[in-house]
Formats: sequence, structure tokens, C-alpha cells
Amino acid sequence: MKVQIKLSGSLYIGIIRDLTRPHPFAAERVGFVFGRLGSLVDNNRLILLTRYHSIPDNQYVEDHTVCARIGSEALTWAMQAVYHGRSGREGIFHIHLHRFRGEPGMSAVDRREIPKLIPGFRSVGQEAAHGIIILSSDHGTAWVWPQGSTEPVHVDCISIIGTPVSVFEHGRAK
Amino acid sequence: MSADRYSRQSFLGANAEDRIARCTIGVLGLGGGGSHIVQQLAHLGFQRYVLYDDDIVEESNLNRLIGATSTDVPAETPKLHLAKMMIYSLMSNASIRGFACKWQEKPEPLRECQIVLGCVDSYKGREEIEITCRRYLMHYIDIGMDVHGKERPVIGGQVIMSSPGGLCMRCMGFLSDEKLAAEAALYGNAGHRPQVVWPNGVLASTAVGLAVDLVTNWTRSSRTHAYLSYDGNQGFISESHTLRNLQVKSCPHFSESAVGDPILLEL
Repeated sequence: MKVQIKLSGSLYIGIIRDLTRPHPFAAERVGFVFGRLGSLVDNNRLILLTRYHSIPDNQYVEDHTVCARIGSEALTWAMQAVYHGRSGREGIFHIHLHRFRGEPGMSAVDRREIPKLIPGFRSVGQEAAHGIIILSSDHGTAWVWPQGSTEPVHVDCISIIGTPVSVFEHGRAK
Repeated sequence: MSADRYSRQSFLGANAEDRIARCTIGVLGLGGGGSHIVQQLAHLGFQRYVLYDDDIVEESNLNRLIGATSTDVPAETPKLHLAKMMIYSLMSNASIRGFACKWQEKPEPLRECQIVLGCVDSYKGREEIEITCRRYLMHYIDIGMDVHGKERPVIGGQVIMSSPGGLCMRCMGFLSDEKLAAEAALYGNAGHRPQVVWPNGVLASTAVGLAVDLVTNWTRSSRTHAYLSYDGNQGFISESHTLRNLQVKSCPHFSESAVGDPILLEL
């Protein structure tokens, strides 16, 4: 299965603007972005991002062993949002930014911590696709857990439908 | 690709060639307008295409169909074939997904596009494309021309760009329920509309210019919409008076959350 993600230019700008704001103690910010499903040929999937949720400063937990850790309040909010979005099969994506150029990847902490969130999202929104998006200053990459699958799919490309149009392709340098 | 090939368009930006090559572009209708468009896109270096046209070349097309020759009429060459040959002749490594059917019969490939160029005749056809482009997040650029009057013919036309989050064709005063109803009332009785090659070329070139600007942002205009009117008698294109006078700031017709496959909700 191949998966693509699309989002509007205005949503992308809003996400970048929020994720690059300094936090009182966390070294980086994280957020949640919601996406709906579109069908493509050969059972491939399109994820269309709709809205972004900025995590309030006071929902971060001070932990200097990681760049950012969010607390149970933020996670509960995310679970509730997925639950309420069930009728629209709206999935949720953990999103953060690595401040360098080129295609980003998961850090060791990302690999250890973020995928743990997915089973919780799936338990309240089984019909939706959930995942992880990591942006860099000029690229982006993502992993999606499609409905009914316990294994993630590395997203082929993320398209920003703004001006300019940007296409971030997995495995192809920008 | 030879570095020299795009040396004359380097003003489009340092990464323009790469940006153009990565963009997947849809062209709906490969007749008088669409044949100009694919030719120009291929010259510019676009490599990924999703094309639709269910028509074959007829005698009456030869006055304007770019790439068509007299032999294509008896051969009943599909317009899709002409478009593919045009692109491959300029861009041998192009990826073309072409469909000799109406796009509504096989809509999934279109959804992968970042930009769709529509060259259709009807208001209804334009409305359907715009709805799909909003739902699957694609820029839509529409072109159309018409000739009004018989005693003193007037050539008119438009190029419209409708983007997710920006003003739509209803906001811009181009589409309305009245126009759609009037068109529906003429169903089956519209006859053949006059079409000539040079206005199609002007409108197609303008649309391609908008597409290149969307991909490269070389003008730094960061447009979210456009409605350009063509006066073929005077020979100029200008921003539509309708759009300028409406002073609409945001689109009430499309919600940014109404994307993806439609879902039936149980009430």
C-alpha cells in the first residue's frame, strides 16, 4: 500500500509557525494534526490534513532527557478528539519539527516514544488512519498506521498545496 | 537532463526545475485548449501527468487542435494519444497516466495531482471539477472561451484559479445557480460553439503561467485565487471587473474540513 499526504499551504504555515515558537522549558514543540481519508487506485490511500491543534505550554512535562514531553492532559485531549471525530473517520497525527534541512527521520527517542501513542488512538478511532509526521526546515516525512493494520507505512510524499506548491518525497533529497 | 535545456528559464528560481519535475499535474480535456497546455507544460519540464479525454480527432478540430494532422481524422486518433505523443516527444522520461474516458468515470488518479487544469465547455463541468479539487486538495485552473453575436462577433474568455482555502468560482462571480440552471435548460440544444486557435493559445498560455507561478512562486505574488478576463477583440487580458467589484474576502462555499472521501452519516 502506498500513502500520500496533502495539506493546504495555510495549514502548513500555521503548523510551522506554531512549532517554531520557543517554549519556556522544552527544547522543541509538538502538536497534533487531523486527517481524513481519500481513496486512490490499487487500494492506495490519501490522507488530507484538515486542522492543527497546538499543545498549550502548561501541558508539557519538564524532562531534560528529551527535547519535548507532553503530559497526560494533552494525550487525553487527543484521544477525546479522535473519539469525537469517529463519524468523519478523522485520524490524528503527532507532528514535530527537526531544525535542519533535508528529509528528517525519527531520532532514537522518537522511535522509542511516539509509536506508543498509536494503539491508544486506534482504540478510540478504529476506522481512521493515525500516524506521525516529522518536518524539517525544507522537507518532511511521515508514517501512517492504516485502518486495520498494526504496522506503519512510510508515506511516499507529502504535498503542500499552497504557493509555492511543495512536494516532499520519501527517499528523494529536496 | 542537459543543464542547457532550461538555461533560458533559470529566472524561475534555483530549484524551479526540480519543483516542476516533482509536480503532478492533471489536464482535463485535450482539445483546443488542453492541446496547447500539454505542449507548453512539456516544454517547461513537467514530467508527471494525469490526462483525460474521451474524444477522437474530427475534421472540425483541425482548425485549432495542436499536434493534429489531416491523417488523424480518418485514423480516428484519440486526442489523448496526440497529447501523449506531444509530451513524449519533448520529455521522453515523462510519467503519463492517460485515460480515454471522462474523468468522473475514473477519478482516483486525478486525486494525486497538486494542480489541475480544466478545459471543459460547461459550467456544470467546471463546478464538478472545482468540488473535486477542493475535496482532494488541488489547485484548479480553468480556461474557457466563447464567441458571442453573429453580426459583430465578440471573443471573450476567462482564466480562473481556485485554490483550497481561497475564493471559489462562486465567490468570484463566475459560477451561479442561475447560470447552471440556464445551461441545464439548453441541455441537448447547445449546438457547436465557435472555437479558434489563437484565443485558445492566449488562454492556455495564461493558465500555464499561473501554474508555473504556483509551483515556483517566481513572481512572489503568492496568489490564492485569480479571475482574468480575456477580450479577444481588443486583445488584452485583465483582472475581472466582477471579482474587483465583489470585494469578497473569504469563501463561504467550501469548508476546509470537507475533504476526503464523502461519508454517509447515520442520523
